[in-house]
Parts: sequence; C-alpha cells; structure tokens
Amino acid sequence: MIVPLAHVLVLAVILFCLGLICTLVWRSNVIMMLIGIEIMLNAAMLVFVGGACHWGTADGQVFALMIMAMTSAEVSLALALVVYLHRRRNTVDTDEFRELQDQ
Amino acid sequence: METYLFYILAVVTVIGTILAITEKHPVHAIVHLVTSFFSLAAIFFLLAAPLIAMFEVIIYAGAVMVLFMFVIMMLDPGRTDQAGRPGLRQWLLPAILGVIILVSIGVLAAGYVTAPHTSSAITVREFAVTLFRKYGVAIEIISMQLLFAVVGALYLGRRRAP
Amino acid sequence: MKLYLELIILLPLLGGISNALLGGRLFSRRSSEFVACAVIWGSCAAALTAAYSYRSPEVVEIATWLSDFDFKAPLTLYLDPLSLSLCLMITFVCGLIHLYAVGYMRDDHCYVRFFALLNLFVAAMLTLVLAENLPLLYLGWEGVGFCSYALIGFWYSDPKNATAGRKAFIVTRIGDIGLGIAIVWMFELFGTESITRLNQMGNLLPVGIVTALGLLMLLAAMGKSAQVPLMVWLPDAMAGPTPVSAQIHAATMVTAGVYLLMRMFPLIGSSTTVSAAIAITGALTAFYGATCAVAQRDLKRILAFSTISQIGYMMLGVGSGAITAATFHLLVHAFFKALLFLGAGCVITTLHHEQDIFRMGGLRHKLPGTYWPFLAGALCLAGLPLTGGFFSKDGILSAVWRTGGMLYGGLYLVGLMTAFITAVYTMRMLLVVFGGPSTPLSHQAVDGADLTENKDKRMVSGVGPLPRIMEWPLIPLALLGLGGGLLNLPEYLGGGLLHSFLAPLTGHEPTLPHATELLLQGSAAIVALAGTATAWLRYGGQRRSLRLSEAQQPARGLQAFLREGWRVDQLYDLLFVRPYVRLATLLWQRVDEGCIDDNLDRTSTQLGRFGNMLGGLGQGRVSLSLTGMAIAAALMIAWLAWMTA
Repeated sequence: MIVPLAHVLVLAVILFCLGLICTLVWRSNVIMMLIGIEIMLNAAMLVFVGGACHWGTADGQVFALMIMAMTSAEVSLALALVVYLHRRRNTVDTDEFRELQDQ
Repeated sequence: METYLFYILAVVTVIGTILAITEKHPVHAIVHLVTSFFSLAAIFFLLAAPLIAMFEVIIYAGAVMVLFMFVIMMLDPGRTDQAGRPGLRQWLLPAILGVIILVSIGVLAAGYVTAPHTSSAITVREFAVTLFRKYGVAIEIISMQLLFAVVGALYLGRRRAP
Repeated sequence: MKLYLELIILLPLLGGISNALLGGRLFSRRSSEFVACAVIWGSCAAALTAAYSYRSPEVVEIATWLSDFDFKAPLTLYLDPLSLSLCLMITFVCGLIHLYAVGYMRDDHCYVRFFALLNLFVAAMLTLVLAENLPLLYLGWEGVGFCSYALIGFWYSDPKNATAGRKAFIVTRIGDIGLGIAIVWMFELFGTESITRLNQMGNLLPVGIVTALGLLMLLAAMGKSAQVPLMVWLPDAMAGPTPVSAQIHAATMVTAGVYLLMRMFPLIGSSTTVSAAIAITGALTAFYGATCAVAQRDLKRILAFSTISQIGYMMLGVGSGAITAATFHLLVHAFFKALLFLGAGCVITTLHHEQDIFRMGGLRHKLPGTYWPFLAGALCLAGLPLTGGFFSKDGILSAVWRTGGMLYGGLYLVGLMTAFITAVYTMRMLLVVFGGPSTPLSHQAVDGADLTENKDKRMVSGVGPLPRIMEWPLIPLALLGLGGGLLNLPEYLGGGLLHSFLAPLTGHEPTLPHATELLLQGSAAIVALAGTATAWLRYGGQRRSLRLSEAQQPARGLQAFLREGWRVDQLYDLLFVRPYVRLATLLWQRVDEGCIDDNLDRTSTQLGRFGNMLGGLGQGRVSLSLTGMAIAAALMIAWLAWMTA
C-alpha cells in the first residue's frame, strides 16, 4: 500500500462530488448528466480497488469489474434512449421529458 | 516515488474531471474525461490492480467514451451548443451540496485509521479464482444483464416505419 | 273582569294576526277592512263593559310567563282608574281612526300590511297600558316602537320615508336603554317587577337611588314622547300615512312616556329632583315645540311640533305632581289632536298630497265637512275658553302655580307664554289653510281635475270628493274635544268627574281657592284670546294674501332657525352622526379592510404562492427530483458525520 487508505478515499469523494455536481448542473444536457454518472461510478470503483489493495483480497477488484460491466450495459441503454428521445423531440433537455408524470 | 506519482496522478484526475464538467462543448468534455480516466487507470495500477487498470483503459476510456462520442456526433451538435453552459446560479446549490458531502466524508475518512494489510500483492491468478469460484453466479447475472442491454439498445435504436 | 281584560288585548291582536296571515289570500278587501275595524270596536266594547263593572283596582293574572328563580313576570294585567281611562280613550280614538283609514287607504294596494300593523299597534299599546309588571310593559313599549317604525316607513319605496322610520326607531332606542336599565336595576333592588308593589316601596330607598331611577325613566319618556333633547324623530315621523300620524304620533304612542311617568310616579315622585327635571323638560319642550310650529309651512309638521309642545305640557303637569291634570290633558289632547290630524289628512288627500299651507286656501267653502270639525279642534288646541283644551291646559298651569316656588313660578310663565304662541300658530294654520279665496290649486283639486304636479303617484287615481267615511269620524272627536271640559270641571263648577275617579290613585291633591283658580283661568283665557287676535292681525282678511306673497321668499334669520326646529338636527348631525360615521368609516376602511382584511389577503397570497411552489416541486421534472435526492443524501451524510465526529 503506497498511500494511506484515507487519501484514496478522499480522492474518491472528490471525484464523486464532481460527478454529482455535473449531474445536477447539466440539466439541460442529458449526455453531460450521463458523464457525471460515469464519473461517480469511477469514484466508486476507486474505492473498491483501494479497499482491495488495503486488505489484500481480490473481492474489491472483482466488484470493480462488475461495476464496469454494469456501466457498459447502462451506458448502451441510456445512450440508445437519448438517441430515441432526441429523434422524437429534437432536444436533450431532461426537463422536456415529462411523459411519465402522473397528471 | 510511487507515492508522489499517486498524488500527481490524483491531481491530474481531479483537474481533468473539473475541466470535463465545466466544458461547454460535449466533445471537448469527452476528451478531458479520457485524460482523467487514463490517469485513474494509472492510479489503479499503482494500487496493485493491473487488470482493472487495463479494463479501465479498454472499456472506459476506449469503448464507453467512444460510444459517447458517436452519440454526440449523431445528434445535432449545434443544438447542444445553443443550450449553453449553465449560469453561475445553477452552480451554487450543487457546489454547496458537493462541499457538504466532501467535508462530511472527509471527516469520516480522516478519522478511520487501520493498519494496512501487509501480505503480498494480489495476483491475476488470485483475481481469476475469486472471480470465477466465489462470484460465479454474479458473472452469470452480469452477463445476462449485458445481453438484455444489447437487446434493449437494438430495440430502441431500430428504424421505425413512419 | 278577566274575560273583559283578555278581550281588550286579544281582539286587536287576533285581528292583526288574522289580517297578516289571511288577508289578501282568504279575505276580500272589504272583509279585511271590516275585521280590522270590528276588532277595535269589539275591544272598545270590552273596555266599556270593564268600565261598567269596575269597582276597585284589580290585578288579573292571565298566564304565567318568564318565571325563573326569584324572577317572576307573569302575564298580569292591572286595571285601575288611570289604565281604564286610557284604555277607553285608546280603543275609542283608534276605532275612529281605523274607520277613517278605510277611506284614506282605499287606493293603496298594501292595505293588508297597513291594517295588520295598525291592529298590532293597538294590541301592543293596550298591553303597555294594562301591564301590571315592568317586563310586560316593556313588551308593549317595544311593540309600539316596532309598529311605529314599520308604519312610518310604510311607503318604504321612497328612501326618505324609510330613513324617517329608521331615525324614529334609533332615537327612541336611546331612551329605551334608560327603561331597560331601570327595569333590571329595580329587580335587583326590590326583587320584584310588579308595578303595584314597586310603587309601595319607594320610601324604602335612599333618595339618591330613587332619583337615578327616575332620571332613567325620564330618559325613556324623552325618547318615546319626543321630549327635548330626543324630540328630533317626531317631525320626520310624519312621513307615514296620515292615519298613522294621528293614531301613533299624536293620540296614543307618544303619550306612552307620560303614561310611564304617571304610572311610576308614586315611586319616583318622592324625589324632588326628578319632579323638577320632569317639569323642566316638559316646559322646555312645550316652548320648543310651540316656537317651531310657528314657522313651519308643512301642515303635518305644524301638527307634529304642536304635539311635541302639548306632550311637554303633560310632562310639566306630571312634574308638578298633578297626575289628574296630566291625564285630563292627555285624554283631551288625544281627542283634538287626532281630530286635527284626521282633518289635515282630509285636506291633504283632497289637494293631491299637497302639504304646504301657503298653497292652500279657501277650503272653508269647498270642504265644509272638514272645516267645522277642524275649527273645533283648533279652538281646543289654542285653548280658547270653554273648550276641553282650555280646561285641561289650565288644570296643568294652575297645578304648576300651586306648587309654587321660584322654579315653578318661572315654569308657569314659560307655560303661559307657550299658550300664547300655541294660540298664534293654531290660528295661523287655520286662517291660512281655510281662509282667503280659493287658490287655483284647490279649485282644480276639488273639481277633480288631474294635476301635473302630483307628488304622489300612488294615490292619484280616484281622488275626487272625499269619501264620507273620512269625514264623519271627525264629528264625535270634535264633540269630545269641545265638551272634554265636562270630564273634569274646575272645583268651583262642582268638581271634576275625572278628579274623583282618579282620587284613589293620586291621593288627595290640594286644590286652589276658587278666586285664585278663577284668576288663573282668566289670565289663561286672556292669553289665548290675545294669541288669537295676534294671529288674526297678521293673517286675517286681506293681510293673508300679503303673507302668501311673503312666503314665496326663502326664510331668513329667526324664521329659518325656527322652521328647521332650532337646527337641532344639524347640531346632532355635527355632534353625533358625523363623528360616528367617521369612526365607522375608519373602522371599516382602516381597521377592517386596511388591517384585518389586508393581512388575511396577504397571508392567503403567501400561502397560495407557497402552495404553487410545492406544486411546482411535484411536476415530475427530472432535475428537481435529482436535486432533491442530492439534498437528502447530503443531509444524511452530514448528519452521520456530525454524529460520528
């Protein structure tokens, strides 16, 4: 372990917060929101990897891999949805999509 | 020396991310993000996870980001430009929330001190054994999820009769 | 006896109720009128029978009512000489007025309401007179007040009439407060409300409390009997139909205040302050009314002010302790004032509701049937010798003289002066209305030609020669007014009937030596004759036309001051009405609308905005949901860190 676990965690939190801020700020662009989600997931992966390194077990790394696989699935579906919605509405602003609201 | 490298890479990651989220044009943001992910992959390498670092480069910096790039280019870039960067006021609340979370978890993390494990590094073999022995079911589930995602994406992306 | 007393009150009540419920639907117009008149005459007959079988004062309990702990106010009637004589007068005069009203209202389609209220009024008035306890008296008191209000504003479609009704109601209400307080206070002091028992207990109390009670009742009498300073409502009350003016605002209701004071006199008379206050109020009012009447040019307003003045005389009599004289004047006044009002009603109806006396004239030849009774009434009012008015007024004046002292001496002079003015305005009215050549107006009106300047469209159709039924009730009233003196002849002519009749009630009133009495009557007669002569010099013969042309000019100076009733209305307007209106406006606009409403409005607006904001949160916007989620997460994590650290 080259650095204390706390430093890794702090870095992960910084990344997570940046991702969160990105998601909250870019409401007008759903692609940027997705990017924010990717950043947050990366922060989570960093925590898993740091933990695996700290305790010397491979489980953390396995879960990092799981996250990566899940992210691939999520991104492929989400981007397909974005394309679909953009084709219908010609916009990527999330506030324009309110069909699911119960009225 | 590796310790310094970690901090340098950490700084590069954070700066790259900040540039990515503040960038007006999504294509530029993706480029910054790729930089950030590369340095993150290096950090993974430093944290004794070469396999994960590799996957990070291949899947994240490679496949996912390229997928984003494709989508951005498929859509009308002019319109996303016009949407513009959010105003300063919109940054205020998320920034406050981010700072709150940062400080809170920073406080929690700083107070958490345990002795690190001193055993040898995790080998690829150990990783593979854990992955397929211990988490075999999870692998199956994840692979099914990937399959569903592919089917869903195909369904959403097919050309409809007008 | 119980049956008679019940009938006296119940018959008019029954008539009023049946007219109100059935009139217009089940009754034809004729039967409605018949019922209204018949019940009053039936009541009159019952009163006569009661008088015939009357032996001594009697208390009759009809039913229990309002009984709680110590408080008892059953429906109890009390028949004594005072209430008996008033009952006879009320039923008789009201009966005649009802007959007259049949003619007067023949073209009005609201006759059902009119007769129902008229009957109800009589019932309430008789309740007031016959009541044995104060709550029952108060019931009648308020009942007549309500009927008066409803009848003044009878033609309510004209806002002026409705306002006059309201004014009367509100002004008398001020006095009623006094009576209300007095009733409650007396129960607290004596533990009983029975008038007969209260009157026996007057000497149990310190004089101060009796004085206070007496002043409260005087306040009530001021309101009801239109005495200074609460007299402003009576002239305006002439907005009602003329039979109403005659019945309520001349003969019966306005004397209720005097009756109350006479009824309670054994209790309150023990305080000299109260007596003096009553006498002063009476003299002042008498003088005020007379001076105002001199300057009026509206026939009914002249009579209204004259009523105020004459009731002032009655109060003066009560204040001098002369119950007999006051009652005597009350009765005779009821006869001749009802007569004058009814005569005025005949004149006004004939002239298409023209009430300005300076536009009348020459009616002596056109309306002989009205003229002669009216003349008799005027002679009574002026107090010319040997009429009923002369004897009754003189009775009061000699009672004042008899009381003696500086104060009462002064009041006697005021009374004498008032008698002079009374003679002047009465004769002025008579000469201007009936004397002189016929004016074009009266010509046309009597000939039945239609006029363009009709004030009152309701009554236009069919006004031609007077209906007979409007003229003949004047005759018995005129006879009673002229011969009223026989009721209570002076001592030297053999003593009065009324005097001996009322003796058990009033005790032995001291009498003056015959010489003094003759002297007083002589001076009163001279004064009345002098007044008549003055009026003749000013308005008689050729000089009448001179006055008519003078009347074209607007009134100035003293005349205007008197015509507007000493400008008391303006004074009250300035003193009470305007500050009150201002206060009400302030409370309305500043406090209610400005403060309370405004705050409520603002609160509701804020709440509405808050609600809209909350509603906006639930509109399904992705970014808002995300932000909310982030806020919640941040708070949870911060709380966790706070607890751990």
